[in-house]
Amino acid sequence: MVNAHGSVIDTVAIENVCIDYDVGPAKREKLRAVEDVSISIRRGEKLVILGPSGCGKSTLLMALGGFLPISSGTIKVNGTPVSRPSMERIMVFQDFYQLLPWLSVLDNVKWGIRKRWPKMKKEEVTRIALKQVELVGISRQAHQYPNTLSGGQKQRCAIARSFAATPEILLMDEPFGALDAINRERMQQELNNIWSEQDQPTTIAFVTHDVNEAVLLGHRVMVMSSGPGRIRAVVDNPHVGKPSDGPEAVNLAAHLRDLLKEEIR
Amino acid sequence: MNPSTATVPPSMSLQHAPSLFERFRKLIVVCAIFLVWELIVRLGNVNPLLFPAFSDVVGNLMRGLGVGGQPELWGYIWETLSVILQSFALSVMLAILLTSLALASTLAKDFLSVITGMFQPLPSIALLPMAILWFGFSRESLVFVVVMSMVWPIASSLTVGFATVSPTLVRLGRNYELGHIGTLVQIMLPAALPMMIAGLRVGWGFGWRTVVAAELVFGATGSTGGIGWYINNSRLFMNVADGFAGILLVIIIGLIMESIFLFIQKKTTHRWGTEAS
Repeated sequence: MVNAHGSVIDTVAIENVCIDYDVGPAKREKLRAVEDVSISIRRGEKLVILGPSGCGKSTLLMALGGFLPISSGTIKVNGTPVSRPSMERIMVFQDFYQLLPWLSVLDNVKWGIRKRWPKMKKEEVTRIALKQVELVGISRQAHQYPNTLSGGQKQRCAIARSFAATPEILLMDEPFGALDAINRERMQQELNNIWSEQDQPTTIAFVTHDVNEAVLLGHRVMVMSSGPGRIRAVVDNPHVGKPSDGPEAVNLAAHLRDLLKEEIR
Repeated sequence: MNPSTATVPPSMSLQHAPSLFERFRKLIVVCAIFLVWELIVRLGNVNPLLFPAFSDVVGNLMRGLGVGGQPELWGYIWETLSVILQSFALSVMLAILLTSLALASTLAKDFLSVITGMFQPLPSIALLPMAILWFGFSRESLVFVVVMSMVWPIASSLTVGFATVSPTLVRLGRNYELGHIGTLVQIMLPAALPMMIAGLRVGWGFGWRTVVAAELVFGATGSTGGIGWYINNSRLFMNVADGFAGILLVIIIGLIMESIFLFIQKKTTHRWGTEAS
């Protein structure tokens, strides 16, 4: 599962990637955050990267986004090495302030579409934006400014904007991490719905430390261990999208929890 | 971006929307001041050549504006306004240019910080003699001193505004492949707008004071003078009520500008909830 042989259905190929941070007073020391990670992400799958805090999972995602340089190894998207941020790899952050506060919900989504396709006709931009806004369930808030939205609504808008740009892969960095428990569970369910309502299945890499979230969302779950971040296991999840209190889901969650616990010990 | 006020609609914010009663109260105070002024001058037998009555001042002001007289004041108003508007536009462009360069290089940043620190405490009217030396008794001299008074407060608040832009928004800009100019125009400037407006207000205030003061010293540039010149000229010809009318005009225009800035704030940063608190 871990190795990738450049199979046609792979969108992302991560091979032997190490990432170091420069630390210390003069930034001379190196701190290894991610060590020797190799995984391929298949087209149209949701891959959850699961790990404890500080295990380097967000670092890996940022590198995949092109926001951080890697120290060794390669990250390729459709065969092209990642060197800088691109609209083919759109990030959704945990931060509620990822929306442009001076644009309404609809205009935020339109903004993303216009950046992606500068020559697209106005009517088409509006049509796509409205569709995505409706899909994430904030049609009623379409003309409100972000400061009047709840945390969950803000994340919905950010998700709508990212899906609207139809990137090669969507990179989600704990987008529901700052939501309350009830909202979080609802958003997890709805992300599955939004994903399946797209014309083309969107490839998603989703970072979380929440085992239940991983079981609900991930076609595959990549468990990371910390200090430095390595791949502990990659687990197939045939029960993706099933209620988290079903027997199979409970078993898988227990298995994942064991994998995480072993690490902490 | 204060999260605690994020969900409060602007209309409910207590600080910026005084109630009708509050406005009414202020009006009473203003009327009282004018009434006391009028009564002291009329009843106290004050020499009108030293301190004219309020009613005379208002009368002269209205006549000067064209109500029952020659509308001569409009020319002076335009003269002053055109100088300050030109300087304002120049200052804003200069401030954006300087602070954008400071974003790009640390050397430019140090330069800006030193030069802002040097010039901000200097009353730019002190540069007027040098400006006259360099540019002569011309409009350029006026514009020069007014720009020198406006550009530094605008630049320093814009620097703070840029420094406090959320890193997530900057990342968003990078993610959508904006270049340097694109990031500046589409992310940095609108995100820094709350600080920018604050800086523009302060800058305008400095500039307004400076332009009137400079005109007082300077007299007319070419054939026409501004409000400052009008005030000084009225003293020369002992038309003291006219001079007072000029002063009143300076105050009124200052207040109008202030409310224009408030209006812009209400339509932008209040609405977006990005008010710098």
